[in-house]
Amino acid sequence: MSSPDTAQPRAADAAGPAPPLGPGPAASGGRLVWRPRGTDAVQTTASLAALVLMILVFSVLDAQFRSWDNVVAVVDAAAVLAVVTVGLTFVLLLGAIDLSVEGVIGACALTVALLVANSRTGLDLGVLGVAATVALGAAFGLLSGVLSTRLRIPSFLTTLGVYAIGLGVATILFSGERPIVEDPWLGDWASSRFLGFTIVSWVAAGAILVGWLIQRYTRVGRYAYAIGGAEDIARLSGVPVARYKTAAFAVAGAFYGLGAVMATSQLGSGVVQAGSGLNFSAIAAAVIGGTLLVGGRGGVLQSMIGVLVLTVLQNGLILAGVSPYAQQAVQGVIVVVAVAAATWPVRHRLGVVK
Amino acid sequence: MRKPTRQRLAVLTGVLAGGLLLTACADDSGTSSASGDGGSCSPEDITLIGQVRNQTNPYEAAWLAGGDEFAESVGLEQQHLTYDGDSQRQQEQIRQALAGSGMECAVLNVLPNGDSDTAPIVAAADEAGAFLVTQWNKPADLNPWDGYDRWVSHITYDGEESGYLIAKALIEQMGGSGGIIALQGILDTSAAQDRFAGLQRALSEHPEVELLDEQTAGFDRAEALNVTRTLLTAHGEHVGGVWAANDDMALGAVQALEAAGITGVGVVGIDAVPEAIAAIEAGTMTATVSSDGPWQGAIGLAMGYCAATGELDVADVANDDRAFFAEQFLIDQTNAAEFAEPELNMDDFECGSLFDRATGPIG
Repeated sequence: MSSPDTAQPRAADAAGPAPPLGPGPAASGGRLVWRPRGTDAVQTTASLAALVLMILVFSVLDAQFRSWDNVVAVVDAAAVLAVVTVGLTFVLLLGAIDLSVEGVIGACALTVALLVANSRTGLDLGVLGVAATVALGAAFGLLSGVLSTRLRIPSFLTTLGVYAIGLGVATILFSGERPIVEDPWLGDWASSRFLGFTIVSWVAAGAILVGWLIQRYTRVGRYAYAIGGAEDIARLSGVPVARYKTAAFAVAGAFYGLGAVMATSQLGSGVVQAGSGLNFSAIAAAVIGGTLLVGGRGGVLQSMIGVLVLTVLQNGLILAGVSPYAQQAVQGVIVVVAVAAATWPVRHRLGVVK
Repeated sequence: MRKPTRQRLAVLTGVLAGGLLLTACADDSGTSSASGDGGSCSPEDITLIGQVRNQTNPYEAAWLAGGDEFAESVGLEQQHLTYDGDSQRQQEQIRQALAGSGMECAVLNVLPNGDSDTAPIVAAADEAGAFLVTQWNKPADLNPWDGYDRWVSHITYDGEESGYLIAKALIEQMGGSGGIIALQGILDTSAAQDRFAGLQRALSEHPEVELLDEQTAGFDRAEALNVTRTLLTAHGEHVGGVWAANDDMALGAVQALEAAGITGVGVVGIDAVPEAIAAIEAGTMTATVSSDGPWQGAIGLAMGYCAATGELDVADVANDDRAFFAEQFLIDQTNAAEFAEPELNMDDFECGSLFDRATGPIG
């Protein structure tokens, strides 16, 4: 294929290098490709069961919860978290962590608000502005990746640094006056509907599909499993680990950028704190879905189960009339129970837990 | 080698910062010892310092801009300090700003991060002999008249009154009956509690208005958007108005209403951020309450400035003016245009009219 790879063994050929990766997903069928078999399948079933149980309970508790309007509301509410979690999943698959989400989203939210028609700059780039924002997100991810792989600093620290850089950039762009989005096209993302769902929800659906395709059919996605499963073995097998790790961070950043565009459309202006709380929610969603922090397990679609669990939970607790004073505690308890339920079937295989 | 280098860098930064402060106040050292009981600084020796949480929200940015405008009017510059809502960092900044001798002509206009942060700030300013005005947060039992001759005043706003004012405006817009959903702030803050108490007072006066639901959205716009979306599915067409404990949440609610294609629902908030004022002008929001951020940024510096130059004798200020509720303004469609371009009236900062906006003692 491309020349830089020719020196390496053709690790991504259909048969795959098939290194003995232990109990990881690669063991299923000896491929680097995730297959819903074995422990992962059990775990996905457990996560799905938790989601279904939650939906059943809330449906019994509250009639409004079952309404079509509420289904639409849940999907609309899940859209931004879903896109961010797709991105984060690639980083978690590596066994790395990304704490830069809120900073990157802040910077990208301000960027897109200033590039499309707005109350502050004379620009009106429309779709070009959106593309530039996604590219900026990818650039932030690239920065995280390069710092982590080339300087050999744990991603925990590099992404925390990139978080601060992102917030700093956002603050500079904000400069005391919030840019109000005046682009009707971007505004329509949040308000006009197609088949009942907002455009933002359709964009999220498209992003999930793209994320799944990247995970399933590109080297970035497939090597992420190998690297996360056993990085040393992947390296010995000739996988250019640093390069593909960096690429995974960049892919993640692009999704954060898109998430920022969607959030900005929903919020109606460029908000520095547009991503507040999203980082924790996205990590929780991924883990609930079965994309574990140890790396090499789970995937985009599994993470989406977690996104739905969290969103349904938030929505259901309000509809069920749980006191706002108790909601946070109840939510915490249910998340812990959901993670425990989701990981219960594979807990013996997880090995070291840090 | 990395570690020593970093330490050296930190020391260097510290020395530089300290050195800058020292040079800024070097002229004062001669007069400082004599000015024990305040009020003999020449105007050009005064250092003006404004400290707020961050510059990422329009309110605090407007605060600092107001301070700048005042500073310019007396031929000085305001030093900006922002601590990102981090109490430790706030204390550290105060310590650094007051490091060195000759701080008797420094004036600090400070937004303490929380009630408990006020005491150490007051102590630090008192020790350095700097003039201090605090705003918003202060423990109830700590007062400027308890032996602090440099802590000029503490200014805050009656949150109960703010919550009440916007609730009345909302109920009026709804024609006196219907259902309201309330978006509370962070539940364990006194701001959220006081403002909600104001809503409850208004509701008790209007039994025909029903509080359909109360939820917290943590003063956050994105959270308010999601919570409102859910509440709209829960209560549907019964919702006649949205009461929010700040403008950011109100604007989130406006977006949720717009996304749901619902019109004719009144939305009120507190803070008078520029976007909310624009929304009121456009008719998507009903009302908000302004504490006048630019005035807050300027008045603290003006009080300290007048005290430092001796035009205001702190000992002569009545206790009722040394910790007071300041006047707040209800903004609705009739007066939104005036507040869209807030202009400081420099007459407010004459040494004789510093306490004109006091509406009464705190408590």
